[in-house]
Amino acid sequence: MKDVDNIAYRLSGVSKIYRKGNRVIPAVRGLDLDIREGEWLAVQGKTGHGKTTLLQLLGGLDAPTEGSVTFDGKDPAAREVRARSFGFVFQTFNLIPTLSARENVEAALIPLKMIASERRRRVAQALESVDLGDRAQHLPAELSGGQQQRVAIARALVKDPRVLLADEPTGNLDEDTRDEIVNLLESLWREHGITLILVSHDSTVVRRAQRIGVMSKGRLTIRQPYPPASRAFTSDTDTVRKW
Amino acid sequence: MFFLTYLRRELRNRMRQAVFIALGLAIGVGLVVTVMGASAGVRNAQGKVLASLYGIGTDLTVTMKPAPPTGGGGTRIMVTPSGGQDCVNGTCSEIGPGSVIDQLSSFNNGPIDEDDVSEIARLRDVTNAVGGLQLTDNRITIPGANATTMPQPTSTSVDGTDVAHAGYGPLASARLTEGRSFTGTDADRNGALVDANYAIAHGLTLNSTITLAHTKFTVIGILSQDEAASPPDVYIPLARAQALATNPATGASLKNQVTTIYVTAASDSDIPLIQQEIQRVVPKATVSSSANLASQVTGSLASAAKLANDLGKWLAILVLIAAFALASLLTSAAVSRRVREFGTLKALGWSGGRIVGQVLGESVTTGIIGGLAGIGFGFAGVAIIRAVAHPLTASIPVASTGPQTQTAGPGQQFSSLQSPAHATVSVPMSASVTVTAIVLAVLLAIAGGLLAGSLGGWRAARLRPATALQKIG
Repeated sequence: MKDVDNIAYRLSGVSKIYRKGNRVIPAVRGLDLDIREGEWLAVQGKTGHGKTTLLQLLGGLDAPTEGSVTFDGKDPAAREVRARSFGFVFQTFNLIPTLSARENVEAALIPLKMIASERRRRVAQALESVDLGDRAQHLPAELSGGQQQRVAIARALVKDPRVLLADEPTGNLDEDTRDEIVNLLESLWREHGITLILVSHDSTVVRRAQRIGVMSKGRLTIRQPYPPASRAFTSDTDTVRKW
Repeated sequence: MFFLTYLRRELRNRMRQAVFIALGLAIGVGLVVTVMGASAGVRNAQGKVLASLYGIGTDLTVTMKPAPPTGGGGTRIMVTPSGGQDCVNGTCSEIGPGSVIDQLSSFNNGPIDEDDVSEIARLRDVTNAVGGLQLTDNRITIPGANATTMPQPTSTSVDGTDVAHAGYGPLASARLTEGRSFTGTDADRNGALVDANYAIAHGLTLNSTITLAHTKFTVIGILSQDEAASPPDVYIPLARAQALATNPATGASLKNQVTTIYVTAASDSDIPLIQQEIQRVVPKATVSSSANLASQVTGSLASAAKLANDLGKWLAILVLIAAFALASLLTSAAVSRRVREFGTLKALGWSGGRIVGQVLGESVTTGIIGGLAGIGFGFAGVAIIRAVAHPLTASIPVASTGPQTQTAGPGQQFSSLQSPAHATVSVPMSASVTVTAIVLAVLLAIAGGLLAGSLGGWRAARLRPATALQKIG
């Protein structure tokens, strides 16, 4: 059973406004939200309605125009917090094309100033956990889309983060691969007890979450209440190796 | 090490661009090395000429322009079909056919009182001041009454050397190959050091004798000298030279006189001040520094020096600027293409400094590769210069060869006063890559890399991660 009583994120009156010349584009408006430790929150919504902006605010990649975002009472934009606590998975994988799968995963550990042998051990484990141990030396271009996203997930999880922020992680994948990746994310969430915040426009993906929020014109509406702790999960966890 | 792995992979991925940047820097650096090599070669050539003329370690030389003869003054020799006349200050004496005239005179420089040497030596910031006599021995045999051709005088350049300070003046540049050099005890002896080529041409060996001003000198040493600057043929002790030589303008002895003072300064920065001080001691003298002397050298050597120092320098600077600009633009363009990559790294927690370091590392590595290639280009450039460059000619002021016979009609005459002469000598172009040039090349290459990388790195560092991640790479 997950501990769901601790608040990981607290968003108070958060707005994010972009300005392009004379145009003002409100991406997120007046958002108040608490996200609990170990929760899986899925945010659904149409393109351009502020999903990715919300994720970037949560990941400390951007700062709100108004209001505040805190993670454990700290600013999530602080580099130390971002380096240790957050793992990112992007729609377009964002792997560094010149580095092998192993080196891409290793890149996430560089800011943690870990000794090389420990880095190697953790990278190998992370790649094994996503079933890519035999693809460690391959460049991203030599991997399928699903494999690339699994490398990106390994990169996100290798530092043992407290939060996994996934932005349309299945957006560039076919249906079979999509299910495979969602199953993998769910398994990792269950195994590691991490907070999973997933943004997607795909209902099939979103409905697997504990709590669903819908972004529309920058406003978030929680559609599905927080489920009872006894809620059962049906996905296959065999793909996840022991961490 | 992750830094190096990432750097290597990135450079390999952008191989063509990296090679292009490195090549640009290599051309710029290579040109700098070549120009520096050529300049060093020209400087060496100038140095050889000047050292031969005035000696190693001399910072300033003091000379006096020769005074023109007044009225019928000076030494004058008339050669007639029935003999000749030797006139000194208007008083002429007949010289019979077959007689030998042998005069040791200073034609190019006027005399300076030897006391001035001591006074200059006492000046503040002067390390040493040594006097010397630059002379020419002219020897002619008066023809008989039935002679059909006029005789040519033979001239020998002679340097009166202060034997107590033989390390100054032209003798300092000479290398003894046989016999011995002057010692303190030679001051009043008729000993001579003879140039090796002159010795061969005149059949002189150790202990043979040479006649100067009707006085026999014993050859005590044979010298090898750089012929580039027409060094003296014979060196004799200063005191003996002063005793035998005459001032052609007055016919007076040069006893207690010198024609050149070689001055060594305590430091280069003192030279301008010392120049002024000497001018105060000897107001009418010409005080020349090494820079002044170098400016007196004309001919293709001077042209080459001007070419290397002016055109070569500016060309190298322009090419370097172009190479730096090209490297900066290409690196900046590469950063633009990698915006999303850097955004991802920032999302992973990489600091701006680490990303800048990565970009700088890549560009500095490219710069160093370019620098090494540039050094190679520099060596090649210098080798080409050596292979194709003709020997440089240097026209330098030298002591006059003295009187010459006139060829028109009977009643020929020659004057012992001649206008200052110039000798054109051939100097080999010895361009070489110096350690300084190599160090500068490496520094320039690193600077080029840093400059290019810092612009790109600065752009990468100031990217907001959210903005960077929105860019489609």
